[in-house]
Amino acid sequence: MDILRQTTWLLWKDLLLEIRRRESLLAMFFFGVLILFIFHFAFEIPKEKAAEMAPGLLWLAFIFTGTLGLAQLFQAERENHCLEALLLSPVDRGALYLAKVLFNTLLMLLVELVVFPLFWMLFNLEAWNLLPSLFLVALLGTVGFCAIGALFSAVTLKARSRELLLPLLIFPLMIPVILATIRSMEILFRTGGFEEAYDWLRLLIGFDVIFLTAGFLIFEWVIEA
Amino acid sequence: MGQTGKAKKILGSLALIFIVCGLYFGLVQAPPDAYQGEVQRIMYLHIPSILTAYLSFFIVFIGSCLFLWKREKRDDILAHSGAEIGVLFTGLTIIEGSIWGKPTWGVWWTWDARLTLTGILFLIFIGYLMLRSLIEDENRGAVCAAVLGIIGFLDIPLIHMSVYWWRTLHQPPSILRPDKLPWENVHPSMLIALAVNFIAFLLLYFYLLSLRIHLGELQEKVKNVRLYGPA
Amino acid sequence: MFRKGTGLHVAVQGLSKAYGFFWGLRDITLEFKPSDCIALLGPNGAGKTTLLKLLSALLSPTQGEITLDGARFDAGSSRLRSLIGYLSPHEHIYDGLTPRENLLLFAALYGRKENPLENEQRLKAVGLEGWSDQYAAALSSGMKCRLAIAKWLLLKPEMMLLDEPYGVLDGSGVEFLENYIRGLCSSGGIAVIATHHVQRVLRLCSRAIVLEQGRVVFDEVKREPWESFHRAYAKFTPRE
Repeated sequence: MDILRQTTWLLWKDLLLEIRRRESLLAMFFFGVLILFIFHFAFEIPKEKAAEMAPGLLWLAFIFTGTLGLAQLFQAERENHCLEALLLSPVDRGALYLAKVLFNTLLMLLVELVVFPLFWMLFNLEAWNLLPSLFLVALLGTVGFCAIGALFSAVTLKARSRELLLPLLIFPLMIPVILATIRSMEILFRTGGFEEAYDWLRLLIGFDVIFLTAGFLIFEWVIEA
Repeated sequence: MGQTGKAKKILGSLALIFIVCGLYFGLVQAPPDAYQGEVQRIMYLHIPSILTAYLSFFIVFIGSCLFLWKREKRDDILAHSGAEIGVLFTGLTIIEGSIWGKPTWGVWWTWDARLTLTGILFLIFIGYLMLRSLIEDENRGAVCAAVLGIIGFLDIPLIHMSVYWWRTLHQPPSILRPDKLPWENVHPSMLIALAVNFIAFLLLYFYLLSLRIHLGELQEKVKNVRLYGPA
Repeated sequence: MFRKGTGLHVAVQGLSKAYGFFWGLRDITLEFKPSDCIALLGPNGAGKTTLLKLLSALLSPTQGEITLDGARFDAGSSRLRSLIGYLSPHEHIYDGLTPRENLLLFAALYGRKENPLENEQRLKAVGLEGWSDQYAAALSSGMKCRLAIAKWLLLKPEMMLLDEPYGVLDGSGVEFLENYIRGLCSSGGIAVIATHHVQRVLRLCSRAIVLEQGRVVFDEVKREPWESFHRAYAKFTPRE
């Protein structure tokens, strides 16, 4: 499969650049932690309410850090006009899209891997056994977030004040993801199982599939325009 | 002017006539609501305006698809015009909803599923217009806006579903549930008032749309005159 | 359809590009045949870079079309893209990757078989053998340009577009680049060189095209003496 091979190479390039320069990941990570602190100052979360507020607060933290990543998503291509170099090549435009979605998803998942346990420690949560299932929900949500996010990161690439425009465009579109992840996590906290959250999870998977497909098909027009 | 100019004038006059009739039916002919009294009359504007707002989302979607497919400027003008008028009608819907909400529920805003949905649509429309104004290159702006038009439209069923589940699962269902409009028990003159107003809004909508499209075509013409010289 | 070994025929038909209210290029019709080595000349803002970007489908035309051996070439035709090379003054090199990794990445994206030995040879040929494991950010702009040349040596396009290649290269770099272009054209390739270094490029090219305000004002095959060219070009060069 040509597309998979090309996607792998492009992802390799982005990961290599990130490992060498740590432009996005460190900033995203510290931003995520910073938000947890600010939440605490803003809400003075008492121990007994922490579980109740956790899904919303965690997702706010993830979305903000994710947006930080999206704003930087094409930074490597801005230097030396490398985007032109990619466009000159016969590489499949869908592969460009998939590589960027995967890259931002990986960055966000790494941040989530740290922020989840940190939240448990900072707010004295006890339900450690829920973490794997919560992380699974977060994974589904993160894929949906990046599917839309990578597409619109390319849309705003040549817009004025693009860093401001990007969240304005993607947050309203992201509402199904935000609601579905927060509610499923809430159900997980309440019941400890997935049974009641099936509808939400189906919605989330549907969102991921629809917008990964749409993004894959549409990306060519955006990036070539 | 010519043929289309005349058609536009007729459309505009028809819209005006129907609006006047609609006001008469809504304010005079129809009886006040049994529970809400006179306040309920705002429904005759509220429901038509939300329906036209939805319609404009559909028009933006159609224009965007056609533009990406055939790359004809007029499809882009259609989408752009649809979005601008969509903002107008969505905004109107929200304002009317607030005016209606204050005496009925005692609040300007409630996180009712359909109110929330309208608010989200409004934000997407605003984003669409901002995107258009912030991209310098005309062709790129049109393509990117079309992409937002399509993605936004695909997203509506999902937003609708999520917002609706969110409200029904976590709060007592509100008055504005779509299945709760008791069509069977409605006074016939209320239905007539609603129908007349709906036609009035549709006429007004298409009149405004045709004006806005005309404006877009004129802008295109100005550009072409400056590019090619006067024809 | 293009077949290797027969040479590429490029036809530009009625090509125009508008930027807002202005024409960057206006109604250009040209034909490039195998082994053409073309000097693309003209004052600033004449449309040289626009033409190169249209020829490489980095821009899409407002009107007109470009065909490669009869096949329409535009933004959608990814498959034909590997026929076109473009040496940009912006280098097109990832600063955070080493020269070796840059070559590896682009070879893979162009679907070339992985051949580390060939990559080393190319780097050596452009004089970067000692730098292959430094980050490209550490290279000077002249060396980055050499690396970009190595990239196109590796990718072997049929038509090479060069946008002001003389700007940053030193003497040996220019010599190497010119040898590469001569080699390309003698084996049936096409080179289009947009530059202001008229004397240099006139020695190299076989044909000159002069653009002025988005239109072709001169297009002739080179001969000696070339009175008509010097008359056409005198307008843009201050008398010495």
